[in-house]
This record gives sequence, structure tokens and C-alpha cells, in this order.
Amino acid sequence: MKARTLLFKFLLTVMTMATSLYFIPCLMAADVENCDLCHKYSGLGRIDESGKKHLYYVNDVLCQQSVHRKIRCKECHSDIEKYPHPNPEEVDCSTVCHLVDPSTDNKFSHANMIEGYDLSVHGKGPEDNPKEHPEDLPSCTYCHENRTYQPVSGLADEHRGVAQEILDRCLGCHTDEQWTRYFYNHFTHRLHQRRSSERMVELCTSCHEDDEMMERHGLIVTGTFHDTFHWQAIKYGDPNAPNCITCHAPVGYSSHEIMPKDDPLSAIHKDNLVRTCSNQGGLQTCHPNATTAFAQGRIHPTRYKTGVFETKMRSFQSLFASPASAELTGLEYYQQLLLQLIKFFYMILIGGLISFMILHQILDYFATRREIKKGGLHQ
Amino acid sequence: MNGDKESWTIGEPESYLPHKEKYYIRLNLTERIQHHLVWTTFVTLAITGFMVEFPEDWLSLLGSHKETVFYYRGLLHRIAAVVMTANLFYQAWYITLAKPGRGYIVDMIPRLKDAKDFYQNMCYYLRLTDQKPLFDRFNYKEKLEYWTGWIGNIIITVTGFFLWFPKYFPKFVFDLSILLHTMEAILASCAIMVWHFYEVHLKPGKFPMSRIWLDGKIPEHELEEEHPLEYQRIKEAEIS
Repeated sequence: MKARTLLFKFLLTVMTMATSLYFIPCLMAADVENCDLCHKYSGLGRIDESGKKHLYYVNDVLCQQSVHRKIRCKECHSDIEKYPHPNPEEVDCSTVCHLVDPSTDNKFSHANMIEGYDLSVHGKGPEDNPKEHPEDLPSCTYCHENRTYQPVSGLADEHRGVAQEILDRCLGCHTDEQWTRYFYNHFTHRLHQRRSSERMVELCTSCHEDDEMMERHGLIVTGTFHDTFHWQAIKYGDPNAPNCITCHAPVGYSSHEIMPKDDPLSAIHKDNLVRTCSNQGGLQTCHPNATTAFAQGRIHPTRYKTGVFETKMRSFQSLFASPASAELTGLEYYQQLLLQLIKFFYMILIGGLISFMILHQILDYFATRREIKKGGLHQ
Repeated sequence: MNGDKESWTIGEPESYLPHKEKYYIRLNLTERIQHHLVWTTFVTLAITGFMVEFPEDWLSLLGSHKETVFYYRGLLHRIAAVVMTANLFYQAWYITLAKPGRGYIVDMIPRLKDAKDFYQNMCYYLRLTDQKPLFDRFNYKEKLEYWTGWIGNIIITVTGFFLWFPKYFPKFVFDLSILLHTMEAILASCAIMVWHFYEVHLKPGKFPMSRIWLDGKIPEHELEEEHPLEYQRIKEAEIS
């Protein structure tokens, strides 16, 4: 009896271990460092000294569909040596990782992107002359959220996702379905802009509509974009509608290397504007016959909206106040002043005239009722 | 007003059911067609125009159709704009070169009497006097509407042209145009809804609508009440 129990327990242990061994290779592929042991719990997080919440949960399913699925955690979080690890350093995206770039056979890194980015309008500036308020400047992860793959749709009506017909064509030669699917996803994901235009504008305006932050950097709030016809077209999902990137990083420019508008390398430098507006070679048809006259003038001229519905009435005196950081030339200042005055005039005119009309008609209504009662009208 | 019988658009007095009452032609066929063109294009332009100002969450109701809607919105707006502009030119020709139109515009000219009428009418509304002003063929309300219509139409047509072909003009012209175009559209739409809709649809005795815009006919009693001076002149002309 005792022997049988012992034997049973022994067999149970062996079977359990054998089963575990069977699963080990799968676990290794996904999470060789066993980070998932803790990070699979959705409540994992902490509140730091400043009261900011940090969430450390990693959704394994989403992570496996993302661009970084083949990278081990420690390749980027390289300073983590022990458990727990209370104050890990921020990830440096220029780290060289174990992947091999198939185009050069060198180890893969984002360093070349970051090199250009640091010199751009969003970068922290050269080391000997860093910019003020570095905390405002977006780091890689502000825009890049390790999104899941979203392969491009083939035709207008086709939903985004894997087109099985095309994937089958690949699988004819590349027989490993997991690898092929990954490659297909990677490739088609890159064929279109990752964000919809609406989300792109949302991302950029998350900083560029912040009055205080823009004031710190001597920039104009771009809230006026929402007054433009460009935005109206985006709102209606017109695929031809331009978002921020379309003009600030058109064909031949990189969104990582956006330059200030006075820099000749900037797409919105006055010498490059005609080319930017005409967008030759771009996916969108913009203003192919743009002239120098057309490409003059500021797209985001003031912080004050000239639009109609989304704005408050400004006081008459404040119209003449020059916006401190707007860097408007004399002519531009008077142009903006004229627009603001016209708007002010119309607000008064609409308010006054329509109020007069409403009042007039109300009086007329009672007068007419009075007449009908008296039988003065032949009703 | 100017004694010239030709300048009035008077129909042959006839009887019509159920009142067996005489009527007069206030708007002739050409004018009615012009009015139909104006109101259809105005409604189309207002709807397709203000669509660009709709908030985003309204658009989500359109779902995947919003792209198509946007395309046809622009197309319809342009077609209606061309028709409205053509009609505007026709109206310009009508009031200068056509005989009935010339009489129409002469009666439409604002005069000192209109200011006096307005003052008297206000007094009448406020019960300061019992005497209603005696209006001629067009009262000050109609004159205000007609002439603001002309001004608004010109502003909106010119700015609309700049918005349609922006690439030949500086950006400032575009900014100016889009501001004037929108503001004028708001003003015009509000004015039509308050001033015109009340006068011809909502006013007690007029509801649901005056029939003038459909067959151009004004009943004799209405003409007598609303345009007594014109009525008097017609009567005198009939007698002589």
C-alpha cells in the first residue's frame, strides 16, 4: 500500500516535470528571461515620490504582435541585473541590439535616426549647447508606442489586416508560416503612415496647442490648424487631406529631422514652400501648380483663431496687442490685424442685426395679433 | 410712385376660389423662377457649406461614408454656386435692361419715406400711435432684405471664387476670403431665418406660407392692407 503510494507520487512528479520540459522551449521563445513571471500581472505598478503612476504590466499577446517582438527585454532594459529593480534607467533607443540588419549584416540600432533627431527642432541640441526646457522635448517613446502591426489594406474597401491571398503567395517559397507572417506584417505595416491623420494631429497638438509650453519655447500655438480647410478634410476622412507631417516632413524629408522654419533644410523654409505645397512625388495630390504667390504667408499665423464657432469674443483693445512671440513681419502683423478687425466687425454686425431683427419680428407678432383681434385684418 | 403704369407688375383682375376675390400678380413668372433658383441654391449652399463646420462627433454618425459625403459636399457646393452666380448675373440684367425689372428696381430704391415708415411702424408696434404707416409697393423690410441680399451675394461670390482657385492668389487673400465667406454665410442664414421666414411663413395670417412665391398672386385684401399706396394707385389706374 505504502509502496504503491510512493510509486504513484514518483510517477506524478516525473510526469509533471516531463510536461514542464515539454513547454520550456515555448516559454523560452516568448520570454527567455522570465520577466513575464511578474509583468504578466495587470496590476503591477507603483506611484513614485512625485505622485506619478507607473504601470509595469506587459500584455504578452500584444507584445508578440509588435515590431519589437523578437527583442529580449534585457536588450533594451540593459541596466537591470537584480530583482526587484526599483529605479531602472530609461531605455536608450540608440542601443545596439542582437538583431542583424539584413541590409548591411551589421548589428541593428536606431542610432542613425537619433543622431539626426538630436539636431532637429525636436532634439535636445548639441551637447555643448543644449536647449532649454529639455523636459518638454519629446523622446522616442512620446510618439513611438511599440504599436502592434497594422498591415496596409490593398484596396479602398479592404479592411486592414493580413491579405490571405498575398500571404499564400509568399508561403509558396517561404514555408515557415510564423516567419513569413512576421515579415509580411513588418513590410506592409511600413507601407502606410502608422497613425491616421486625425491621430497624427492629436499627437502633435498635444504639445503644440499647449499655450504655456509654446510660450516657453517662443513658438506660436497651432490651434489655428483646426480652422483650416485642411483639418475639415481630415475630419471627413479624405485620404488626400494633409496632416502635420505632410507639410513638415514631405517627400525627401524625415519626420525625425524636422528643422526650424528659418533653416534652409526645413520643408517650410520660404525657398522650399512652393515645392512643399506642390508635393511632387508624394502620395497625396496637393497643389501641383502652386505658385510663389500662393506659397507666401503664414499657415499658423497667430495664436488667435480666425474661425467662427470655436472662439471667444476678444476685446477691441486686445486686437491691437502684438502677440509677443509671433515673430510677425510688419506686413503680416497688419494682415492679421485686418482679419481680426473684420471678424470683430462681423461679430458685432451679426449680433446686432440679428438681435434687431428678432426684436422687430416679436413686436410685429404682437401688433399683428392685436390687429386680428380687433378684426382690422380681413382674415 | 412714378405714375408709369408699365412699371407695375399687375395681373388682370380675376376671381379665384374660395373667396371669389380679385388677385393681382406680385411676382411674374421670371421673378418666380429667379426666386426658386435663389432659394434652392441657397439651401444647398448653406447645408453643404456649414457641413465643414460640423463637430467631429456628428461626423462619426456617417461612419465609413464620410469620405464620399465630403466629395459630394464639395461638388454640390460648387454646382449650386455656379447656378446662384448665373442667377445673380441674370438678375443684374433683369433690373437694368428688362422693362418689368426696371420698374421693379425703381420701386426698390430706398427713400426718405422708408426711414419715416420705420419710425412710424416702431411707434405703432409700441402703441404710441394708432396709425400704421402706409407702405408702397415695397416696404422698408423688403428693401432691407433685397439690398443686403445684393451686398451679401457679391461678397460671397467674390470670396467663393478666391476659395475655389486659391493657387493663383497669396495666402492672405485666402485667409480673408474664408473669413468673409463664413461670416457672411452666418449672417445671411440667420437673417433669412429671422427676417424672411417670419414675414412669409410664420407671421399670423401667413402660416404656413404666403402663396406669392408659388403662383405670384396676392389677394386684393392683402394688397390693400400691406401695400395701400400701391393699391390706391392701381385702383386709380383702373378707373382712368
